[in-house]
Amino acid sequence: MYDVAVIGAGIAGIEAATQLAQMGYEVLVVEKDGRAGGHVAGWDRLFPFRRNAAGLTAEMLKMMDRGKAVNILAGTTVADVQRDGQQFRIWLSDGQGITVSAVLIATGFKLFDARRKEEYGYGIYDNVITSADLEQMFASGKPVVTKKGERPKRVAFIHCVGSRDEKVNNRHCSKVCCATAVKQACEIKQMYPDAEVYCFYMDLRMFDRHFETMYLDAQAQYGVIFVRGRLSEAAESIDGRVTVKAEDTLMGKMLKISVDMAVLMAGMEAAEETDKLAAMLKVTVGKDGFLNPADECLQSNFTREKGVFVAGACTGPKTIPETLADARAAAVSIDGYIRVGSEEKSLREEIIGKIRNKREEIRSRRSRSEE
Amino acid sequence: MRQRFIYDPFVLPFMAGFVFIIIYLVAGIISAIRELPCEDRKKLGKSIFSRKIFVSAREIFMECLIHRRIFRRNRMLGFMHMSIAFGWFLLIVLGHIEVRLYCPERVNLPYFPIFFRYFMMETDSTLKGSLLFFLMDAALLMVLTGIGLALYKRINSRLMGMRRTTKLKLGDRIAMYTLWAVFPLRLLAESFTSGISGGSFLTRGFGLVFESFVSNEALIRPAWWAYSVALGTFFLAMPVSRYMHIPAEMLLIVLRNAGIKSKKTNAGYGNIELYSCSRCGICIDACQMSAAARLDRKTTVYFMRMLRRQEGDIEAAARQCLMCGRCVQACPVGIDSCRLKQNVRRSESFFSPVQYRYFPPTETIRTDVLYFAGCMTHLTPGIGKAMQTIFGRAGVNYRMMDEGGGICCGRPLMLSGQEKSAAIMIEKNTDIILQSNAELLVASCPVCYKIFNEEYSLPIPVMHHTQYIEQLIDRGAVTVGHTGLSAVYHDPCDLGRNSGVYNPPRQVLRQVANLMDTSHERGEGLCCGGSVGNAVLTGDQRRKIARDALYKLTGEKPDILVTACPLCKKTFAGAGLQQVEDIAQVVVKAME
Repeated sequence: MYDVAVIGAGIAGIEAATQLAQMGYEVLVVEKDGRAGGHVAGWDRLFPFRRNAAGLTAEMLKMMDRGKAVNILAGTTVADVQRDGQQFRIWLSDGQGITVSAVLIATGFKLFDARRKEEYGYGIYDNVITSADLEQMFASGKPVVTKKGERPKRVAFIHCVGSRDEKVNNRHCSKVCCATAVKQACEIKQMYPDAEVYCFYMDLRMFDRHFETMYLDAQAQYGVIFVRGRLSEAAESIDGRVTVKAEDTLMGKMLKISVDMAVLMAGMEAAEETDKLAAMLKVTVGKDGFLNPADECLQSNFTREKGVFVAGACTGPKTIPETLADARAAAVSIDGYIRVGSEEKSLREEIIGKIRNKREEIRSRRSRSEE
Repeated sequence: MRQRFIYDPFVLPFMAGFVFIIIYLVAGIISAIRELPCEDRKKLGKSIFSRKIFVSAREIFMECLIHRRIFRRNRMLGFMHMSIAFGWFLLIVLGHIEVRLYCPERVNLPYFPIFFRYFMMETDSTLKGSLLFFLMDAALLMVLTGIGLALYKRINSRLMGMRRTTKLKLGDRIAMYTLWAVFPLRLLAESFTSGISGGSFLTRGFGLVFESFVSNEALIRPAWWAYSVALGTFFLAMPVSRYMHIPAEMLLIVLRNAGIKSKKTNAGYGNIELYSCSRCGICIDACQMSAAARLDRKTTVYFMRMLRRQEGDIEAAARQCLMCGRCVQACPVGIDSCRLKQNVRRSESFFSPVQYRYFPPTETIRTDVLYFAGCMTHLTPGIGKAMQTIFGRAGVNYRMMDEGGGICCGRPLMLSGQEKSAAIMIEKNTDIILQSNAELLVASCPVCYKIFNEEYSLPIPVMHHTQYIEQLIDRGAVTVGHTGLSAVYHDPCDLGRNSGVYNPPRQVLRQVANLMDTSHERGEGLCCGGSVGNAVLTGDQRRKIARDALYKLTGEKPDILVTACPLCKKTFAGAGLQQVEDIAQVVVKAME
């Protein structure tokens, strides 16, 4: 028997599940991939302080396992959901059915498929890669090289690929790519101090506490060159280099630069099949494909559908600290809903009784271990 | 039969309307023909005394009376139009036959056949008379059926296969309601008179029914008065209504068969096209801005009305168009409304020749085959790369004309009305092409292909890459296998409908993939929504059109959607629902 089903075992899902388990709930996490950790687990280092991403998810999973109240079903998806009074009956892709009191959607985002921005040549030109590809190169521990295996002398980072772009129907800003580009640009410079590194940006959105420092360091310490101008197109020369065309809007000049490697800062889109899941759970989807909470400010983890909650990037692009805070808030919202919001008295009392016992058990276990 | 009267005052409203419309039409036709350029007038003169006049007569019969093109679109709609037009025509013809047979001395009175049954009385039931009366009644019944259907169409147009029908203005409404009233009033008048004049199954039948509860004698003259007033009002309202299409379409058919086409101005032929529009509204459903983005009021029928009445922001209306040609294809009258819109789009307000100083000095390229990728292919490098692979495999001596960016073909400027600017591009590009000594120009973008064909006077043939690939395969210059993929082909507007290239892409695709049929192909092909013809549409509206087109095209779940236009490919990719590939890319896959 589970109390809460969490859909998605990215950092939002893990954090919310951990918090709910600590409150005494039995939680099932359904994850479509074969492993937990989501996008963060596949990343190398995180801005602003370049902490290890795999370390972060490993630590989170360890915290979660400590409660022993969370069960993760990897490689599983939600096949169907039916409301049964105050409860939800959920059928999973592996055939089993579970009944829960609340559902938390934490399906996160998917990276924009850069092939849709064909003029930048991803998937066509050898040396056009995405930020995620570069991060994997970093994670492999080997030096970053071009397709031919040479060290790049000139690298361009292209901001806003699939974000803030009406032409691919994504008006939203993906929030994390500016900081990621600056981080990756510095890392390239650190790896190859004599390489020329360019960032082509529309606006640099360095909104968070340490971001301006990163940006300053990138210029003063690393010598990254920032060009304000959106790329119009990229072309491949015979030697496999990439010629990028852009307008430097601050200088009012057209630029044409040949680089050894172009890195596309792919933006965020709502995860695959978010709309299908939303339809099953009767949650409304915004024009941008992300889910709509019941209220942007006061009920940011609630949805219009009672008992269905949202956390993390499924409601729009978020940084890691924002996602984690959102997940914790979702856990509190779910706890409040189950304890106070349940309309059926008998069910409510049953759950509360169970939780009371559970909490006492946790407390006694803790005091015993302290002794 | 015997004559009762020769005149009654109730003929006056009809005569007033009739004389007015005859004078108006004669003056209109003279001024329309005077507006034609001299060469066109000569063409017209020649055609009248040639076989062409019979072609025109046949077409007038098939289109203006039978409405064959509307029949092809929807049988009920065709039947409605035919019933009214052909039925009315029969009434007029049979009416004149009656006069010639029974009262030949009154042939010169224009109102006599119209009010024949009031002026004549039956003396004995001749066989001839009953046959003619039967035919007259049958024709009247036909018109009444058509009007019944027209009434019903105003309530439920879907029966006739129309999602939307035209919202009419005052002039049209007056003419339409009076036209609808004319025939029931005629039925009443003839029924009331049928005791004296005789009649057939319809008029005599109704006459007997009426006799049982009203005094037919007393109602005879009021009914004929009402009939005459309705007819007269219809004629008076005709010049400000859509019913000008009746005479204008006949003139249009004669001109078209004389080989006269729309020119760079809307005077003359264009004006006759305007008057030929019957505002049937078939173009409303054909337009994807209306079908997918709910811009019903921006469709061609409303533009045509604005242009004819010279009211509203005509230029804005002309610019709110994808120029995909679907309305032209659907138009039962064959009006080239895209040309009319193009002629309204004239402005040199922003660009001036001075602004093209940055053109690179023309570098001389020498080659056999010149390849013009075009700006959209530069933005979809997958297509350009595929073409280079194909050229390489075929061992063709080719050069790219716009490798480093090149000069625009000029069509987007042309479409936005900047003809002078476009002329500069055309001149520069023509220089490059001529200097190259190339034997062939290959274009990847249908937008460029169309302008190379139509506005450049090149001494060498121009091919779109679909045609060129077909030729290479036929020649054995490239050999292809079968990819095993199922494919739906999307006809780009400027390649298909607007340039008539339908078969080469299909020939190629049949060899490399399993080509699936859709109901939206060839002339009925859809616009992707990305058209450079419209610079006013918002991204959101374009997205709606693209998604709608994708849903319609991929209903059968093909592995790939194939197109032959970089702009279509890019627009569909932006909608992000289905993988779209250019035919060149599929061919490259099949070569491996």
